[in-house]
Amino acid sequence: MNKFLAQTKRNIKLFFKDKGMFFASLITPIILLVLYATFLSRVYKESFLMGFPEGVEMPDKLINGFVGGELISALLAVCCITVAFSSNMVMVQDKAKGVIHDFLIAPVKKSTLAISYYVSTLISTLLICFLALLLGLIYLACTGWYMSAGDVFLVILDVILLSLFGTALSAIVNHFLSSQGQMSAVGTIVSAGYGFICGAYMPISQYGKGLQNALSFLPGTYGTSLIRNHSLNGIFRELEDMGADSLVIDKVRDSVDCNIYFFDNKVSTGAMFGVLIGSIVLLVAVYILLNVNWKRSGKASVKK
Amino acid sequence: MERENSKDNIIEISHLYKSFKDVKAVCDLSFCVKKGELFAFLGVNGAGKSTTISIICNRLRKDGGSVIINGEDIDRRDFSTKKDLGVVFQNSVLDKALSVKDNLLSRAALYGIKGKEFDERLARLDSLLDISPLLKRAVGKLSGGQRRRVDIARALLHSPKILILDEPTTGLDPQTRKTLWKVISELRESDGLTVFLTTHYMEEAAEADYVVIIDSGKIVAEGTPLELKNKYTGDFITIYGSDEEKIKSLELPYEKIADGYRIGVPDTKKATELIVRYPDIFDDYEVVKGKMDDVFLSVTGKKLTGGNADE
Repeated sequence: MNKFLAQTKRNIKLFFKDKGMFFASLITPIILLVLYATFLSRVYKESFLMGFPEGVEMPDKLINGFVGGELISALLAVCCITVAFSSNMVMVQDKAKGVIHDFLIAPVKKSTLAISYYVSTLISTLLICFLALLLGLIYLACTGWYMSAGDVFLVILDVILLSLFGTALSAIVNHFLSSQGQMSAVGTIVSAGYGFICGAYMPISQYGKGLQNALSFLPGTYGTSLIRNHSLNGIFRELEDMGADSLVIDKVRDSVDCNIYFFDNKVSTGAMFGVLIGSIVLLVAVYILLNVNWKRSGKASVKK
Repeated sequence: MERENSKDNIIEISHLYKSFKDVKAVCDLSFCVKKGELFAFLGVNGAGKSTTISIICNRLRKDGGSVIINGEDIDRRDFSTKKDLGVVFQNSVLDKALSVKDNLLSRAALYGIKGKEFDERLARLDSLLDISPLLKRAVGKLSGGQRRRVDIARALLHSPKILILDEPTTGLDPQTRKTLWKVISELRESDGLTVFLTTHYMEEAAEADYVVIIDSGKIVAEGTPLELKNKYTGDFITIYGSDEEKIKSLELPYEKIADGYRIGVPDTKKATELIVRYPDIFDDYEVVKGKMDDVFLSVTGKKLTGGNADE
């Protein structure tokens, strides 16, 4: 147990002290914030107002709460995945730099090393995501707060689940990487691409039908939708209280991916949780199998 | 053989085989290392040294043969054999972003060393390697020599019985090399540490108690440095202030050096005969025994240079 704890502590410390890795993990959230500051907030605002008949007056607080909720959900959705990928690069770096050899000559089980990489990645990801969530909630409190305690609790649960998913996915992908070049390539692809495919930069509802169907196969899509649902629930409750038409509200929910469709079938939030949890279980099982295989091969999967 | 049957052996390698696809990295390798000795394992890059070390460290699975460390077969996968080994790798494998102390703490934990025990070990290593001024500094900001001292401290943290040094002094300044060897000598004397050395510096190999030279995965020569010199090299006469015509007249192979000529002779007796027969040529000269470089060149046909072998 001490070996596991020491190794986990070392991995976390290394991630936060390695400026390159740490800042790389923040690239996607920073891109998102820049896009938000330049034009996304306007796009979010216009798409929200477009759902209502002309002449309907919307309070600024509600509009700001909606725009803020969309931003926070997008930010958290990308953070949970891209931070997990970056912090799991400690594992790849250990292989690329030969540090893994130093561990393998010590009396420590390979399974201990594998679990410590997983747990440390999860902790680092959660630390950054919870910090982002806290800042987001403060921002919402300043601009337009409509969330209930239950919504906050559910967003926390979503972040935990999406972080578990991101950690397991990154653990599997990174298991096959062993050089700095591969590490940079995967880091760049994930940073640049994930924001688009999870619907963080732009709602999936605005993509073509084919792409929407393709993205509905990705579990991350449901993670984003869950966070978005729970971030914006208060807004929709407020709209109902204001007497807005339920069809109009549903149209707004469609436009911001609170409603996700799997080949025209609306996916319930319960099913979204099911997909996400099922994916986590599956990916963790694959990671365990990969490491059992690694153990049996009798050597580190590192470049000689 | 006498060494193979000795009870003093701490490493016993017998008929070791390892291939990577069609490449036979190690082929029927057998040798022993005695407790407390400085054992030099020499070979050009690709000769099979690193593969052998990886197998000894249980990092790489062998195809055949046996490896016994301190009486334990490594196939038993017991952690006790791992505790017996300390390794200084060719390139530092410490975490550059972390401080020296954080590195040592995390590595010590892998051996179950923590708290007071860690502090005691650290104090001992500090007395040997003077690392306390470096403890708070990031490993990435240390000089090559300082980093090497920390590498050695890491390898010695758990007081191993065997220290494997994989080209430990490559690229180090003479002062750091001297410090490193002083520490190793002290540990051999005080703790009976066994040192398994691979190096490109033949003057280091010349200090070894026993030398094994491998080429293409097979042993091509082994013995004490003196035995190897006597068997594989002759004596060398260096003649100063003579002209090349006179040297040619000796009808012996010679090499032009900075201030004269170097002639190889089979032994000291032959050197004496030459000097007596040609007193006009041997006006200013010296006779020396062959060096480990000559042994290496003689048995492998290659020169061992810093990281590369020249045919």
